[in-house]
Amino acid sequence: MLRQTFEQKLQTLQTEVLLLGDMVDTALGAAVESLTRQDLASAGRLVADNCFITQKRLAIEAEILSQIATQQPVAGDLRLLVAALEIAAELERMGSYAASIAQTTLSQAHQPLPEPFLSTLPAMGQKAREMLRQSLLALARRDIMIARAIPKQDDEVDRLYQEAHQALVVLLKTDTQGAGQATALSRVAHNLERTADRVLNICEWVIFAITGEMKELNGSAR
Amino acid sequence: MTRETFERELQRLQDNILTLGSMVEEYLIDSVDALKRRDMAGSHRLIAYDRQVNEKRFAIEHDTLTLIATQQPAAGDMRTLAAVLSIASELERMGDYAKGIANINLLIGEGELIKPLVDIPRMAEKACAMLRQSLEAFIKRDVWLARSIPPKDDEVDNLYNQVNRELITLILSNPQNIDQSNYLLWAAHNLERTADRVTNICERVVFMVTGEMTELNTSSGEQ
Repeated sequence: MLRQTFEQKLQTLQTEVLLLGDMVDTALGAAVESLTRQDLASAGRLVADNCFITQKRLAIEAEILSQIATQQPVAGDLRLLVAALEIAAELERMGSYAASIAQTTLSQAHQPLPEPFLSTLPAMGQKAREMLRQSLLALARRDIMIARAIPKQDDEVDRLYQEAHQALVVLLKTDTQGAGQATALSRVAHNLERTADRVLNICEWVIFAITGEMKELNGSAR
Repeated sequence: MTRETFERELQRLQDNILTLGSMVEEYLIDSVDALKRRDMAGSHRLIAYDRQVNEKRFAIEHDTLTLIATQQPAAGDMRTLAAVLSIASELERMGDYAKGIANINLLIGEGELIKPLVDIPRMAEKACAMLRQSLEAFIKRDVWLARSIPPKDDEVDNLYNQVNRELITLILSNPQNIDQSNYLLWAAHNLERTADRVTNICERVVFMVTGEMTELNTSSGEQ
């Protein structure tokens, strides 16, 4: 294969990864919205459509491995392919979190969301998605500065997570009947917090693709 | 490279996955044990161990990519090699969770825990048993075994919910418990995620053998 064609292939793959990222970003937004608005139709669609995200990830993976097999790329090209492989995997898992949140919408349909969660959970979702979009931008532009600046924002997600946790404690205290709801909402908060965590993994891979250095940005040590 | 040499290389990669799996399993158990015994020196050592897990993972990844690049494997072999890559990556992230637990021990610092650690070690044992089985399913290419593992995640989830409730009760009875409660909850959280990642391995084994990807964890909406 000519060098130019391989370059084009790499470009196409990157575009595919960015498209997958966009799908996941949209799913996460819609999932949190379905929860706050108790939109069962939307939640049902999200659960069903999760398979498209999984399929896209596997298609990207197959294409990357076939490029490695036929083109035997080295150095920067290989790093980019490996990073794209890992980023696609991270994105797919975030898609699963979106589906999981949509499932909570379905299971909690019988009762409205208590007030503090109507603001905390969407705020967490917004922040995590903002981080996700920035990490994709860092990939698209091969921009280390953007990738390195993202982990700081995770503190905001952690702060909101603590806030949600405190609201859960109050919910349990005031309303022992709400135990099932509290557990369900704690899972949603948990999934959003993990989403942000996985954005940090994406940042690690973007930095790896550009510099060849693998540095952990995500300690999972809170 | 002859078919036999290829098979031998593949075998070697699988052995390395098992080695990495044992490293991670031991890492998780030791980290929880150090937390339980309040062993600060041990936790320091365990934090440093993460580097070895990472190196092993990158070595496996390197060897797998080299094999792909030099052998241009056919579809079925390619799925096995893709499985090696993704399982190595899942294992390495589990290692990060073990490191996280070691770090939590240091964050809590010396002194008695606000509660005896019973459920958290139990979570670690269950997650590790699931991990061992998932790798066995991988080596034996056993779809049936792979499918039977994710339902056991419910047991880990139940323990997690129990720990969660207990810690919340401790916060309610004494707000001063909040910091340590949060730390312990993070430790439980890391173990719950470990079990989730075992499900990812199981899904990958099914895909490797059948060429079809199915979600195996639909129980509590938790993936």
